[in-house]
Order: sequence, then structure tokens, then C-alpha cells
Amino acid sequence: MHQNGKRCGGGRDELGFFHDSVAFMIRFENVGMRYGMGPEVLRDVSFHLAPGSFHFLTGPSGAGKTSLLKLMFLASRPSRGLITMFGRDIATLPHHELPAIRRRIGVVFQEFRLLDHLTTYENVALPLKIQGRTEDSYRDDVHELLHWVGLGERMKARPPTLSGGEKQRAAIARAVVGQPDLLLADEPTGNVDPEMGQRLLRLFVELNRLGTSVLIATHDHALVEAAGAPELMLHNGGLSVRG
Amino acid sequence: MAEKPENLDPMERRGLSGLLASLLVETRSVMPAAGATGVSLVLVIAAMCFLASLTFGAALSVGRAADSWTSELAGALTVEIKPSPDMDKDSQLDAVMSVLAKTPGIKTARPLDQEDMRALLEPWLGQGNVTDDLPLPTLIAVEIDMQSPPDMAGLAFQIAASAPGALLDTHRQWQAQLLQAARTVAWLAYGVLAIVAATTIAIVTFATRAGLSANREVVEVLHLIGAKDRFIAREVQRHFLHLGLRGGLIGLALSALTFLAAGFSGQSESLFLVPVWGLPAELYPWLLLVPLAASLVAVLTARVTVFRTLEQML
Repeated sequence: MHQNGKRCGGGRDELGFFHDSVAFMIRFENVGMRYGMGPEVLRDVSFHLAPGSFHFLTGPSGAGKTSLLKLMFLASRPSRGLITMFGRDIATLPHHELPAIRRRIGVVFQEFRLLDHLTTYENVALPLKIQGRTEDSYRDDVHELLHWVGLGERMKARPPTLSGGEKQRAAIARAVVGQPDLLLADEPTGNVDPEMGQRLLRLFVELNRLGTSVLIATHDHALVEAAGAPELMLHNGGLSVRG
Repeated sequence: MAEKPENLDPMERRGLSGLLASLLVETRSVMPAAGATGVSLVLVIAAMCFLASLTFGAALSVGRAADSWTSELAGALTVEIKPSPDMDKDSQLDAVMSVLAKTPGIKTARPLDQEDMRALLEPWLGQGNVTDDLPLPTLIAVEIDMQSPPDMAGLAFQIAASAPGALLDTHRQWQAQLLQAARTVAWLAYGVLAIVAATTIAIVTFATRAGLSANREVVEVLHLIGAKDRFIAREVQRHFLHLGLRGGLIGLALSALTFLAAGFSGQSESLFLVPVWGLPAELYPWLLLVPLAASLVAVLTARVTVFRTLEQML
């Protein structure tokens, strides 16, 4: 991870992820973003994430965390600057190639964005279904994952009947079911008690240990301190790094 | 472990109304099934297809009736024999029938008897006023072969020459007027059909857009988790095809029932030139075009709208 020429993140050379010769997973160079004709919510943001890294994204409300995540999961375009993902310049990437990039990214949305008309099982299996896989090929994996996140008994329930914590875990399960290269989570512990927060953190660490890069946007300082991972700090649209 | 009743999903305990809703709007796609927008879209399409089917059926029926009237009239002639002091009634009839029998292109020739004449005149003269001593002309109903019709001018001359007071009526004047009236009514019916069809298309289009707008969140989530545009469009199209077909078939069934009910209630009645004895059986299959067209409109609208929506996204 670099910001203003400083290298940060890393520590997994034994896995072969952090060599400079390896393409960066995400690279932002002088990225700015504004909504419509409004002021810039992100200014001259430059950093890159290496494969297998683990970072937190922190900052006060309105600092631009969600906007930065939207750029990273390809929901928004930057107003200026260069974004490279998995070695491809997003600005020049043909529209039909974007889904392939998105499938390498798992996203836990702040408001979960589960589909209310589908069961928990169907919601979690959705990323596999859209890949054209048959249900027989993924049913057991989805069941196992749902049991692992503690939703084994709630597979047939629909989101409106789930508690906040259950929705959070369903959203996380949907984000990780496709074994993404990068996991982006927006306030993933915002709706759970500290104990569940720690449990979810262990889930993210475990995923990272298996090779997924993780970036968690959070207000939860206890979570950041518990993990001891590098911190990207947004303040007034600018980015700095700690750790 | 059994779930507690309060934990049961509302969709799983919705009972008969839920079953009905699922039959109406369940589409087995990743799009919402028994949503409020789904039900209202089905009802809107059903109502518009009902109106469109009624109009279409009426237009078909009027068109068919107009064809039938003109062809029947074109294939029929009448010979009128007025009483004459120079020849008795039977001899007049024999002379004219002899001419008709010899003329090629005549399929049948039938003199109307007293009962037929009474039935023709009683509506005008009043029941019981057509007495046997009333001096009436003799009428002969003639059916001609439309494939090789007789020479009308020659036939008229021969009939007039065969007996005094004999006259051939080719119905030409009536035929022209009725044909004009029938054509006007048929065009009027097709005009109304065009307006109803255009309105149906507009309403189905707007309802489909509204339905898709309500499902924008689903489209966005599918897009963001990496679904290809084609996958999303296919799911959306299938969803609206099912909704369109269901609404269309409900409207079709209601209109078919309306035609059947009209058939039972008003056997041989007619309203101006519009027959109200229902739709001829062979025309019912044509009504299937209405739900098919409505579904096609819904699917195309959904396809265009979803691709436009996806283009606006990154």
C-alpha cells in the first residue's frame, strides 16, 4: 500500500502476494470525485492495495468513506484521476468487461441491500446464480457458509424477518460466497453488539488468511485496534495512512 | 428444529390469498414475485386486454357481418310479378319459372307462398290485415351462382317479355347503399380498435416502466454483484412476459365470457348494424392475439427500459 510515495500494508511475502513485480489489486492516482456540480467529496486520493492485504478505512461521517468504496466497487465514476483495478484502467475498460471485474469483488453494503423477496439462502447464492452455475453445484457450499455465519436455521427466512445482526451476516455471506479477491465492507459491524463485531472481525481475518484482500470502512475504533491492521484515514476528502 | 410461528416468513403463511397472488404473479425469476406492483400491473394489463379484446372481437364480428350481408345480397335476386288483366297469376308464374329454369347461372328459384308473403307484410300492415283477397304481387326468390352469374340485362329482358307485369329486381341500389353502410361501420370499428390498441400499448408501457422502477433496487444489486446486462435483461423480460401473459389471459377470458354471455342473452338481436349475438366461434382464436401483443409490448418496454437503466450505471 502506497500513499504519497510511502509504502504501507504487506507482511505476506511468504504467500508471494507483496512483491513489487506483482500487479496491484487496486491503484488510485490523484482521484477526485464530486456529485453533479457539488464540491469534491474526494480530492487527490492516491493509494494502492496489494493482493492479500488487510486495511481499515476510517474517518468522520461525511469524510467520503462510502464515496471511496463506491469507486472501488465500480458503482461510481471518478471526476478525475486514474483508477486501475486488477491491472485494468477502469476508464478504458469496455462496459461488457466490468461484470468480470465486479465478480472479483465482494461487497458488504452499509444498508445490506439484501433482496427482500428472496430467502436468505437465495440471497447468499445470488452471486453464484448470476455466474450461470447450477444450484446442484453450489447448494452444499452455500449451506455450509450459512451454518458458518450462524444462519443455518434461517435459510428459508426472508430479510424482512431477520434481525439487524442476521441481515449483516447474510450480507457478509453473500459478499464472500464467490471467494472474491477483494472484500469491501461498509460499516459491517454497525448493527451488531461488540461480541458479534469481534466474531465478524475473526471471519474477515480468516478470509484474509485464505488470500482475500480486505478493506473495512468503519467508525468502530475498538475493531481497528483489535485487528491492528493499517488504517486509511479520510478527512475532508483527502486520504492519509496510519500503520 | 421447527420455527416458532412468529418467526415464520410472511410469504410462507399467507394462505389462500398468498396462493392466489403467487398464481397471478409468481415468475420464478430473481425478480420479485408477489409484490404489490406485480399485482397492480397484472390487473392493469387484464383490464386493458379486456377492453382491447372486446373491441377487437366487435371489429372482427362487424367486418364479418358486413362481408356476409354483401355476399348474401350479391347472390340473391327477386322477380316481382304484378297481377295483370292480360294473363292469370299461375300462367305468369309458370312463364317466368320457365325462363329462370333455362337460364344458366341460376342455382335456385323459389316462389314465395302465402305464408311467406304474410310474414313479409305483417310487420308493415299489422297482424291479421293481410287477407287472401288482397291483390299482392307474386315474388320469386332467386339464388344465383356467384362463380358464373347470369347476364343480368338479358335475364331482365327475357323475364319482362315472358309475362306482363314481371320485373327483375337485382337489389343493386340496396346493395350499394348497404355495402357503403357496412364498410363505414367496419372502418369505424377498426378505428375504435386502433384507438383502444394505442391506449392499451401506452398504458402497458407506463405500467411496465412503473413496475420496473419499483424493482430498480433489484436491478442495481444484480448489477453491482457482477451480473451481466444480458442476464439482468433476461430475468426482467421473463418477469414481465409472465406478468403480461397472465394479465392478458385474464382479460381475454373475461372478454370471451362477455361474448358468450351476450350470445346467450340476445340470440338474434342486433343493435343498429352491430350484431349482439356474440362472436362467431371461428373468430375466438383471433382474440389470442391481444394477450400476445400485450405481453410483447410489456417485454419490449422492459427490455428497452432495463438496458437504458443499465447504460446509466457504470
